[in-house]
Amino acid sequence: MPKVTINGKSIDVEAGTSVIKAAQLLDIPIAHYCWHEGLSVAGACRMCLIEVEKNPKLQIACNLPVTEGMIVHTDNEKVRDAVKWSLDFHLINHPLDCPICDQAGECKLQDYYMNYGLYNPEMAERKQKKNKAVSLGDRVVLDQERCILCSRCVRFTNEVTKTYELGIFNRGDRSVLSTFENRPLNNNYSLNTVDICPVGALTSKDFRFKQRVWFLKDFDSVCNGCSTGCNVKISYNNNGVFRVRPRVNKEINGFWMCDEGRDVYKFVNREYRLDQVVERRDDFAGASVKGKPVALALQEIGHKIKDSQKLAVVVTAQYTVEEYEAFFELFSGKLKSTKFYVWVNNEETFESFDGLLLRGDKNPNTNGLIKTMKKFGIKAGLWKDFEAAVVKNEFQLAVVAAPENQNVYPELNSRLATFEKLEDVVWLSSCVNDRFKNFRWQIPMKSYVEKSGTFINFKGVEQKIKASVKIIPDAIDLIQLSAGLSESIGVAR
Amino acid sequence: MSVVKRPSQKAKWYIPGILTGLKITMKHMLFNLTHRKEMMTINYPEEKYQYSDRFKGNHILTVKKDGSLRCTACMLCATYCPAECISIIAAEHDDPAVEKFPISYEIDILRCVFCGFCEEACPVDAIRMGPEHQTAAIAGERFIYDITQLAYRPENKGGVLSKVDDEERHRRGL
Amino acid sequence: MEIKLLTEHYDKPEFVTLKGYQKLGGYEALKKAFKMKPEDIVTEVKNSGLRGRGGAGFSTGMKWSFLPKNNEPRFLLCNADEGEPGTFKDRLMMERAPHQLIEGMIISSFAIQSKKSYIYIRGEYMKSYKIVEKALQEAYDAGLLGKNILGSGFDHDMDVYRGAGAYIVGEETALISSLEGKKGQPKLKPPFPAVQGYLRKPTIVNNVETLAAVTWIITHGAAEYKKIGTEKSAGTKVFSVSGNINKPGVYEVALGYPFKDFLQNECGGMKAGFNFKALIPGGSSCPVLNAEEAMKSTLDYESMGQLGSMLGSGGVIIIDDKQCMVDLLNVLMNFYHHESCGQCTPCREGTGWLNKITGSMLSGRAKMEDVALLDKIARHMLGTTICALSDAAAMPVMSFVTKFKEEFEFYAKERKSKVRGEMVYAESHH
Repeated sequence: MPKVTINGKSIDVEAGTSVIKAAQLLDIPIAHYCWHEGLSVAGACRMCLIEVEKNPKLQIACNLPVTEGMIVHTDNEKVRDAVKWSLDFHLINHPLDCPICDQAGECKLQDYYMNYGLYNPEMAERKQKKNKAVSLGDRVVLDQERCILCSRCVRFTNEVTKTYELGIFNRGDRSVLSTFENRPLNNNYSLNTVDICPVGALTSKDFRFKQRVWFLKDFDSVCNGCSTGCNVKISYNNNGVFRVRPRVNKEINGFWMCDEGRDVYKFVNREYRLDQVVERRDDFAGASVKGKPVALALQEIGHKIKDSQKLAVVVTAQYTVEEYEAFFELFSGKLKSTKFYVWVNNEETFESFDGLLLRGDKNPNTNGLIKTMKKFGIKAGLWKDFEAAVVKNEFQLAVVAAPENQNVYPELNSRLATFEKLEDVVWLSSCVNDRFKNFRWQIPMKSYVEKSGTFINFKGVEQKIKASVKIIPDAIDLIQLSAGLSESIGVAR
Repeated sequence: MSVVKRPSQKAKWYIPGILTGLKITMKHMLFNLTHRKEMMTINYPEEKYQYSDRFKGNHILTVKKDGSLRCTACMLCATYCPAECISIIAAEHDDPAVEKFPISYEIDILRCVFCGFCEEACPVDAIRMGPEHQTAAIAGERFIYDITQLAYRPENKGGVLSKVDDEERHRRGL
Repeated sequence: MEIKLLTEHYDKPEFVTLKGYQKLGGYEALKKAFKMKPEDIVTEVKNSGLRGRGGAGFSTGMKWSFLPKNNEPRFLLCNADEGEPGTFKDRLMMERAPHQLIEGMIISSFAIQSKKSYIYIRGEYMKSYKIVEKALQEAYDAGLLGKNILGSGFDHDMDVYRGAGAYIVGEETALISSLEGKKGQPKLKPPFPAVQGYLRKPTIVNNVETLAAVTWIITHGAAEYKKIGTEKSAGTKVFSVSGNINKPGVYEVALGYPFKDFLQNECGGMKAGFNFKALIPGGSSCPVLNAEEAMKSTLDYESMGQLGSMLGSGGVIIIDDKQCMVDLLNVLMNFYHHESCGQCTPCREGTGWLNKITGSMLSGRAKMEDVALLDKIARHMLGTTICALSDAAAMPVMSFVTKFKEEFEFYAKERKSKVRGEMVYAESHH
């Protein structure tokens, strides 16, 4: 375990650790563009220059392994001057695009200019002109002028996805990043290149020009797109949720997440949401009536459940463990129902895995559902059992904990017909769909960004999510639902 | 604690005071009757005062040579605005040289405090404070000015040209 | 005085063929080498004091001994990507004595126990390529390459590879990248090529002249080689001389030879009407020496080092008083701007910036501050990149601007050349 001293602070690190990593452990910032913990070392940006005692030449911290007794300075005059000039070299051909650049506000060029720069530019020559707004694929846009050629994205496609779409072409300051001919950047991890781009060269088509980043706030969450449960941070403001980016968790997702997972913010926004109780009223000729207070609706539903002899409970694996516990506590523990059914989506591809992160099981909490059902000793049927029972007219009333994310339930529309055969359906859903109007009750549910709870991923790792935004004020979760129902049914909790 | 100050003895001499005031009034009236041109007051709705160029009145969005909006939708004005009265929705332009432009630019003029920060924040001379300040309207929603009102209202005579020219900047290699 | 160790038979046309080469004593060194132990050859080369002739001047024997002692396959690469402006000695050596190189490479490969070697020839050197390829075929036909060479039990294969025309590939790690089929860009060190080079296997990269000299050393012995030259710079060096002199060309002289004599005797003095002004001793990347410094210099690594320049690859460029230094620097900057691989930022952007400043100087747009700015940019490019191209571009700038400051300042002030008078370019912009 060599011991290294950086700016007077010492640390023992494992042999082979680079100085930049050791500095990170000591919370000493070292400027860098090309170095990324999840990728190989390129050593191209020359920003991480440091001074090692007894070495006259400045060294790059990213490719320098620590040796016993090494004494490093990262903040003296010589280093600051060298870093300032490295930054200047990055900036001389960089366009003044900040006003229209999406990266502005989280751009490393801006950050380091404030830390190391603050000089008057001496470059009075013409800048190098390159192409702007080049579409690299379905999701990513490139601005070649803004690119600082750090090659992070190239290394990402070479080392992580192994799809080799990107390359740096030409030489010198005419170098441009581009895709190879007829090989657009369309892999399912392409948006990671946007995340790791330290400047505004790669931008996401989805997020492009939607918001300035300083209007957004981030909160930590767990992706509910599949059973991997990637750690994410979600950016939002008063107008809704705008983007999802990965958070580092080496146990689960490393540094990355898939492009599919980045779309799962879309269904939580107001325009896709059920925002109030919708009731089909027979006395109004089957018309839907909106706006009944949730508590009142729950009271009526409670009475219905109490009276009903033919009750079925259908659940999907999209809710948290805590919600399932409250839900099963009521239906299995208190009401002694026996007819439970689990609605499994994507049955053909359920077990598939793309080799990196994305799994065929597109629910965040399949393991949590299984665990809770075991705890309550519930033997649930599958979809075909439910269908057969409906055909045999066994049920009159069904309580359905419907999927929050309709996009991962491709069979949803075809299965609605089965529910429509029942007289009364309590449809617990966070999203809107025209065909839901045939159900007796639609109760607005919270989406995963609005509630706290636990997801258990495919490996059995329990991950907490936290309620961070309020999008639909009237929405409830299964816990509130169960509490409301128990009150009206009259079983004590 | 409040101290009540009694009127002094001197204040009882109000009649000479009134007369002094009347004297000033009469002086101005006679002056104005004889010197109509140099009169301080104007007949407001019919006549309007000529303000200085620096006057911070209603906003103007400037235009480029081709008549399109100069604004690049960078939202620096909206960021800087202390009254939070500017709301912009940006979109992608067909021309890659323009890239970003506002499809909606609204100023809630009733919230505006006319501080002029938006003008200062703008990197491309896209927003200026114009000379107009008479902002009467007959309905609340008329006070939310949109692009048509801000850039192409009749007073602007087809649009005010911005000082920052993209072509010029490209020619200089910036 | 010329001492022809390597170039002795260069004027004989039959030296190119295998038969002619063997008649003049060729491939005797190989037979001698096969009787020695590989490690003894390494020691012999180390003792001879032979230093890399490609530019850096690192001890060849030392370089070989850095190879890890294991049974991993290893490679010998011959760096014949001679791109340095002012240098053209390797071309002559390949065109006149290909077998000398091939023999040296087989001996060296035997010394480091490499089973495969490559000659990486600069893309533009089509003639050299054809000659070397033909010689290689002859060697294969004669059983000098392939399985069990001359009954020694040593197998060796050799290939020629043509570059695609990038100067940077003359750098050893870039050469390895290019040979691997990638873009010719230098790689980060460590790991050094001797540990992890071509195909991530231990690799030795040597210059043509170095490998050819190995042949001589094995034939005549290290002690004999060490007698020639100075203490720290042993042997001879092949110089390629250009400029307005009476006899430009390729000359082999002992290291330590005074430049004054070299200019008078070998080069035949300056052409009539031209006076000696400055010297670039080792190819365009070396700092320039003014007349005074050049006259007291001797042609060896130490003397040049003391004067703040380098012997480099032996591309002696003689600059006369009719040359404008601003023009010259612009030509150099054009070259480095064009050839920077674009990997490291200071070099990618810096070479372009320097070139733009020299260009605007020539078109009369430069300001006085630009002279100091040139120096400042160059100073901050120095030693901050993966390879030495950034240094190669920066060092001439620094030396030009310091030693010929008045020419630059004259240009910036008067907007015309101090030497030539008129301007090169008309105003192109604005």
